[in-house]
Amino acid sequence: MNALRRQRALADYTIAALSRRKVKNLALVAVFSLVVFLLASAMFFASALRQEADAALEGAPDLIVQQLSLGRQAMISADLIDDLASIRGVRDVRGRLWGYYYDRVSGANYTVMVPEAGQMPPPGQVIIGEGIARARGLEWQGAPLFLSRKQGDLNRFDVAQTFESDSALLTADLLLMNAADFRAFFSVPEDMFTDLAASVRNPRERATVVDKASRAMPDARFVTRDDIARTYMKLFDWREGMMVALAAVAMLAFAIFAADKASGLSAEEAREIGILKAIGWDTRDVIAMKLWEGGFVSLGAFLLGTTAAYAHVFWAGAPLFAPVLKGWAVIYPAFRLAPGVDLSELVVLLLLTTLPYAAATVVPVWRAASADPDAVMR
Amino acid sequence: MITLSDVSKIYNEGRPNAVTALHAVTLTIARGGVTVFMGPSGSGKTTLLSLVGCMARPSTGRITLDGAPVSGLPERFLTDLRRRHFGFVFQRFNLIRGLTVLDNVMLPAAPLGEDPRAVQARALARLEALGLGPKALMPVEVLSGGETQRAAIARALVNDAPVLIADEPTANLDTALTHRFLDIVAALRDQGKTVLLTSHDPRIIAAAPVSAVVEMRDGQVVEVRS
Amino acid sequence: MIFRTPILTLLLVSFLALLVALGAAWFGQRLVRHWDLASGSRAQLEMERRTELVSTLFAMVMLAEAVALFLFVFNADRMAALFVGAMCAVGTLNVNGYGFPALYAKIAVFFAAAVWLIVDHVDRLGRDYPLTRVKYALILGIAPLVILAGGLELAYYLNLRTDVITSCCSKLFTPANEGIGNEMAGLAPGLSLWALALAELVVLGLGAYAVRTGRGHALFALAGAVFFAVALTAMVSVISLYVYENPNHHCPFCILQREYFYIGYAFYVPLFGATALALGLGATAPFQRRASLEAVLPPVARRFTLWAMAGFATYGAVTLLVIARSHLILFG
Repeated sequence: MNALRRQRALADYTIAALSRRKVKNLALVAVFSLVVFLLASAMFFASALRQEADAALEGAPDLIVQQLSLGRQAMISADLIDDLASIRGVRDVRGRLWGYYYDRVSGANYTVMVPEAGQMPPPGQVIIGEGIARARGLEWQGAPLFLSRKQGDLNRFDVAQTFESDSALLTADLLLMNAADFRAFFSVPEDMFTDLAASVRNPRERATVVDKASRAMPDARFVTRDDIARTYMKLFDWREGMMVALAAVAMLAFAIFAADKASGLSAEEAREIGILKAIGWDTRDVIAMKLWEGGFVSLGAFLLGTTAAYAHVFWAGAPLFAPVLKGWAVIYPAFRLAPGVDLSELVVLLLLTTLPYAAATVVPVWRAASADPDAVMR
Repeated sequence: MITLSDVSKIYNEGRPNAVTALHAVTLTIARGGVTVFMGPSGSGKTTLLSLVGCMARPSTGRITLDGAPVSGLPERFLTDLRRRHFGFVFQRFNLIRGLTVLDNVMLPAAPLGEDPRAVQARALARLEALGLGPKALMPVEVLSGGETQRAAIARALVNDAPVLIADEPTANLDTALTHRFLDIVAALRDQGKTVLLTSHDPRIIAAAPVSAVVEMRDGQVVEVRS
Repeated sequence: MIFRTPILTLLLVSFLALLVALGAAWFGQRLVRHWDLASGSRAQLEMERRTELVSTLFAMVMLAEAVALFLFVFNADRMAALFVGAMCAVGTLNVNGYGFPALYAKIAVFFAAAVWLIVDHVDRLGRDYPLTRVKYALILGIAPLVILAGGLELAYYLNLRTDVITSCCSKLFTPANEGIGNEMAGLAPGLSLWALALAELVVLGLGAYAVRTGRGHALFALAGAVFFAVALTAMVSVISLYVYENPNHHCPFCILQREYFYIGYAFYVPLFGATALALGLGATAPFQRRASLEAVLPPVARRFTLWAMAGFATYGAVTLLVIARSHLILFG
């Protein structure tokens, strides 16, 4: 009980002491929370992207088969559908048609896909992502979309529907077409597909299936959903790591600043420590009080910075570093990330905010606290 | 009883700016009286009090408190001793600005881990006794000189220290306030406390409650009168 | 290496801990040789003052190490998605040979840190620095452990390669394989449940004795350590089965996942906390008779004992809860 009461009394004093130098302490908290804000924004953003990617992959096929020709992806023949379907454990094999289209009007790349039967637009019509609608200025309902592959060739499509911006990151540049339109527009022969997709129900069988299939189809490349997920995760981790490393440099700069501030304790503060020691405080008591001070400052900065970062990332869509983390794209979705914060992220943030600050200030504080108590009498 | 035998204090020892503040002082201070240390500034009065009050360690010599040696004690012991035995009133009072009077008075109790309500009640009682009850919640900046001193006395007494040490307590006070201070000292003596003062104020030395006067010069005790 | 924020943070904590541990050990060996409370010399005074700094710094990094242990496991669990074959922390830790040694070293650092923090706390209660020498002798023992753990951790993270196919819990914790994990898994469920109940009774009984008489803390610490081992064995051999409602899945890590409502933390946090407290009590038990501690230590020891008992009891209670709520029926 005594130890707790002592800590409480010291904390009470700290709060009273902090509130006396409001401007100075608020400035300190403000600078500190800016650093935390950068760090937290980078982490929240990357983890939101990871979640987004996970959500997108949920609908992705378990296994994708691509034809390789000269080491590059080529069109795959429809004959292979049956070969694949004959392997045990493989179900729902279908050929997929998709590709990229460079639009000279907006200077952007669209992803053109033929969706599964249920969502397929009727011939002559397309479903577009909101990025395309924005890029082409299709503001009013029913405006036609003109696409041209080469000089003098112009195809008119009616816009059946525009995607909602729920999953905007993935659908912004998406253009869905009817299969017949796709083959005609891109001159794809009837018996060819971009790639094949299949589902393998049992996740433990995937490796075996890939093994068997690659023997049956030596020219094909097999990509499982887990592979894609891993690639995504690595990519995002790496980019987040870069951002965090940058923010860590800022943190280091701040720690140096804090250490400098703490070692150059103002005459007023040094005198105060002297008084406290003279009236019976121990070195430990002064250190504990100063640790409380550091704790309050870093906790304040942690709360402020984290909250601001949450608002920045999940409400405002991370305008500050979306370009770095998402990659550079002309069509850039205006969207909101689904809010989600992981406990480990908060723990990481808390460690990263409190530890360097405490480590930077404790030595100067100790130096001031171990001064002779009789100094105030001289 | 506090005894000093052959106590010297050298500041910045071993450096070119070394100063000998006390020179082989031997002295006995009785418990329960008012002792005044007088002498010109630089005569070592303040240094002597800081040694007696366990604020600093002697460079050589021995100090005992009620028979137990204190000069060689480790840091933690010394702080503990200081907390329990001595209350200090500094020359410039040294209240902490920006805090209320009550907070200032409660400060010495903060590290002890007592029940905060008990400490607060004690602090308020001290302030009340010194006529500062109505000002307890005001910031210390608004206090007058005499009130500041009384707040400092309340702070020195909050832990019920048996020895009160005051350095030049009346240097900044007029005659009326000096008398008020002497009344407080007399009351403390009547409660059985030991009061140690430094001063070169003749009004103090002539005052009724004073039981002993130690005259100092150049870091040495010249004369002891009781 | 994988550039990941939790990893960078963990490495930062380890690096700081390493620096502080080295500095503290250097100071510690000087203190152990020259500490002389009676001397009152300038060097001794200097040393007394310096202990405040070194103790504060060391306490700080030891607290950070405790948080880091949690983060290490949590992060390993999260990273399972990065490795082929990994379903939980086991897979991630198995990616290379340093994973599990790093975990064990970190657990060892955690317990050492906890013991040290308690010794430090007790030392600060007495004004004659009653345990200061012990405290710094302990640092001399802990510092190599901190270095080892940091080194293993660094080696583990530097050698993390995502193209490695790792093996996960279903392969590690099966009675069919060899190794301690499998021996634990192979233990009869009934036997390990009885052993857990017995250990629980013994540890609570000894705790109650220590609370009432103020003695027997060393025995309590021993019982706590035994309970820790029995509890982990029971976790692998039987409790996990109830959690997963699957008679063959013995993994002690999957229970930390969201699918199982993070129930693992309800087991491990009280267990580790209580064991740490018990060990700390054991470490301070020989010094209870020191004059300067005689008055102040017993209430603190009493409080710590009660907390430790609460932790051990929680482990048992959560076990009962899981068994009661589970659809798996192993007996009867």
